Amino acid sequence: MDPFLVMAGIGFVKAFAVVMFGLNVGVILTWVERRMRGMIQDSVGPNRAAIPLPGVVAAGAATGPAFLLAGAVLWLGFGSSLAEDGAEGQSFYGKLLLHAGVFVGWVTIASIVRAVGERGAKNPLETTLAQIGTPRTVVLFGLVVHALVVIFAAFLVTEENAKLSLQLGALLVAALSVASAAHVGAALAKEKTVRVTLLGLLHPAADGLKTAFKADFIPPKSDKLLYNLAPWIAYFPALVLLAVVPFGPALCFGQDASGNLDFSTFQGIEAPGRMCEAGRLSLQVADLNVGILYFFAMAGTGIVGAALAGWASDNKFSLLGGMRAASQMVSYEVTMGLTIVGLLMVYGTVRVDEMVLWQANHAWGVFVQPLAFFLFFAAAIAETKRVPFDIPEGESEIVAGFYTEYAGMKFAMFFFSEFIAVVSSSALISALFLGGWHLPFFTSEGIVVMLGQTELFRSEIPPGMLAVIGALAFVGKSISLCVLQVIIRWTLPRFRYDQLMRLGWRKLLPVSLVNIMITGIAILGADSMSGAAQESLAFAGQLSMFLVAALGLVALVAFAIFLLTPRSTKQLVMSTSAARFARTLGGIREAKMEA
Amino acid sequence: MTASTKTLPTLGPRNVQGTPMTRPARTPAVQSYIPELLKGLGITIGSALRNTKELAFGTRPDPVLESINDGINTISYPEQQRPYPERFRGVHRLTQREDGSPRCVACLCCSTACPAQCIHIEAGDYEGDQKRAGYEKYPKRFVIDELRCIFCGFCVEACPCDAIRMDTGIHPSPYDSRDQFIYEKNLLLSIPGRQGEHQSENPRVEPGEEGFAGVARLQQH
Repeated sequence: MDPFLVMAGIGFVKAFAVVMFGLNVGVILTWVERRMRGMIQDSVGPNRAAIPLPGVVAAGAATGPAFLLAGAVLWLGFGSSLAEDGAEGQSFYGKLLLHAGVFVGWVTIASIVRAVGERGAKNPLETTLAQIGTPRTVVLFGLVVHALVVIFAAFLVTEENAKLSLQLGALLVAALSVASAAHVGAALAKEKTVRVTLLGLLHPAADGLKTAFKADFIPPKSDKLLYNLAPWIAYFPALVLLAVVPFGPALCFGQDASGNLDFSTFQGIEAPGRMCEAGRLSLQVADLNVGILYFFAMAGTGIVGAALAGWASDNKFSLLGGMRAASQMVSYEVTMGLTIVGLLMVYGTVRVDEMVLWQANHAWGVFVQPLAFFLFFAAAIAETKRVPFDIPEGESEIVAGFYTEYAGMKFAMFFFSEFIAVVSSSALISALFLGGWHLPFFTSEGIVVMLGQTELFRSEIPPGMLAVIGALAFVGKSISLCVLQVIIRWTLPRFRYDQLMRLGWRKLLPVSLVNIMITGIAILGADSMSGAAQESLAFAGQLSMFLVAALGLVALVAFAIFLLTPRSTKQLVMSTSAARFARTLGGIREAKMEA
Repeated sequence: MTASTKTLPTLGPRNVQGTPMTRPARTPAVQSYIPELLKGLGITIGSALRNTKELAFGTRPDPVLESINDGINTISYPEQQRPYPERFRGVHRLTQREDGSPRCVACLCCSTACPAQCIHIEAGDYEGDQKRAGYEKYPKRFVIDELRCIFCGFCVEACPCDAIRMDTGIHPSPYDSRDQFIYEKNLLLSIPGRQGEHQSENPRVEPGEEGFAGVARLQQH
């Protein structure tokens, strides 16, 4: 194979994966936003779009993946090179599979128990399972078993019996997933038609389909070219922003004689403890030297789309919206750029992957530049033109702002570009401030907990797995930031236009300038410090990792407690005859199709 | 301020009496907007998490029984339906006699009482050697326009024979065209009551049977 073609193919795959990530998370975010609105306002939210499938087909669709999973896991445990005696990483994958088996088990039992509570038991097995208790107790039970597996696996799984644990875990996962799939499939196959709703995920799909078939109305006196061009100019930059964000740690390979990557020699990931010597494959689409500056160039282009749409529509409301969008985005671009200056001074690079590596080696950006984090976050929300900064749209004032005259797919492109801008800004924030793919104590060898120069804990993880964990950590951080932005959107009311401008120019801008000054002084101070003082700085960096880990643990425990807290119920008030009648029938769940 | 608790202070140029409204103090915490922002975020996140949990665990409040409880109380309509009260006036039905013929004697009381004029009856006589010939009429046609009906229940009140009832518990289904809302006699006879019954609880004494309150016409002649 021509090495150039190989690299081009890899580049294409990376670009495709990142674009798919942006588009899909954007679509899912539209669903998250609507359902979150429901959850916040005590309603269900959109969950009714459905595809009716014949029961047999639905059963096949439900069981097929489970059988595939079982087959893959069995292959991993018995057929693959991992199952050979003394293979590397056997004990790690063994423990992982045991946990996966326990997870599949309790999730299945909990969902069966929940279904029995909803519609009654359909067979003796369900009756028996329902006697375990509520879904809540099943979850508690599952968490306890997880904890037991963690404790016992630490003692019992050694290098000698690692293969046994791997095969045991594989059998457990395969058996449980096949059993649960068979249970679900048998129930589905009995139904004549099954309405597949996927928790309401089909709603955005239905909306997309609807907009695609809507009439493409162009205002008669508009500037046709610019009117048609504007959605693309708004849409495209939001998507290509993701190109400079690293989605995982760089992979180190060997090189062959002519200096090309030799993919057969995977050496590990570029993380604390290892820098790639020669062959380096970064997990970002464009390995640009300008890095973060590319982000600003592209984000600035987005303004043009909104302003053009407002100008070309031949509508005063659109024009107002376009002007508002342009002025708002230009104002907040300034703050965004200035907050980044502090980061550039600390990290000493404009390349985003090197920034992440710096954070992995020292401390996360949110600890080094806390002020910049909040400023950047506020400015990023303002850049996406969403609530509380949705003045360009301003439904209560100027109809729909710069896309008043847009309908169908062109409107959907504006709408969607907002969501993709949320995704890309979240991805960038997590890379700049939250350590990107890095997790606390994450090194090129696995989890190594260091305090000062002493090593407290070490758990080695195979390098391939490390890359996967890193990518998952990055995706997880980005998605949590996206969800946070959605929640902010449902919490805060819209700013007034003068408030927005005052916030941008008279609050955020001076604070970001002060931030640069403080950062400069701090860096000067740190450079001129003695060796002992610099060591204590490094120690503080390690402590920040401990803080993150502790916060994560606290959040996990709090979440478990939250899950296990029962619902607070008030005394029933039989205020209406319908309620009294329903009580005689045993509530609405049992009396489903009555009347 | 201590004296003003008894006598209200005078405010403004027009000397309006009243206590001034307490305004939040302009502390840095209030002015910076950040603590309130975090409080609001906490409320929305908590609400969203709690409701999501209850939906996932299937423990959300019963939309009818616990409709005043916190949480999601919406009814997912076609799948879940609010039970109608016992005396809910649904689609009409025509009750049957034991032999399956309509109880209706085509007296036109219901169509007269109907304020929406949605009932149309064509009366006919029982003929030949039928048991009821000479005693009663029967409806040759009995038509209700369910689209015109206002579900007031006057027809049920007016009926002397307990022949028309609205105890089906069904609300009229949506149809594609107006003709489908015209319910003919056979359809009305086939709609069961809530317990699936086609007859009425009230007894009906046929002519010739013991306790028949009507006039025995044939014997008079």
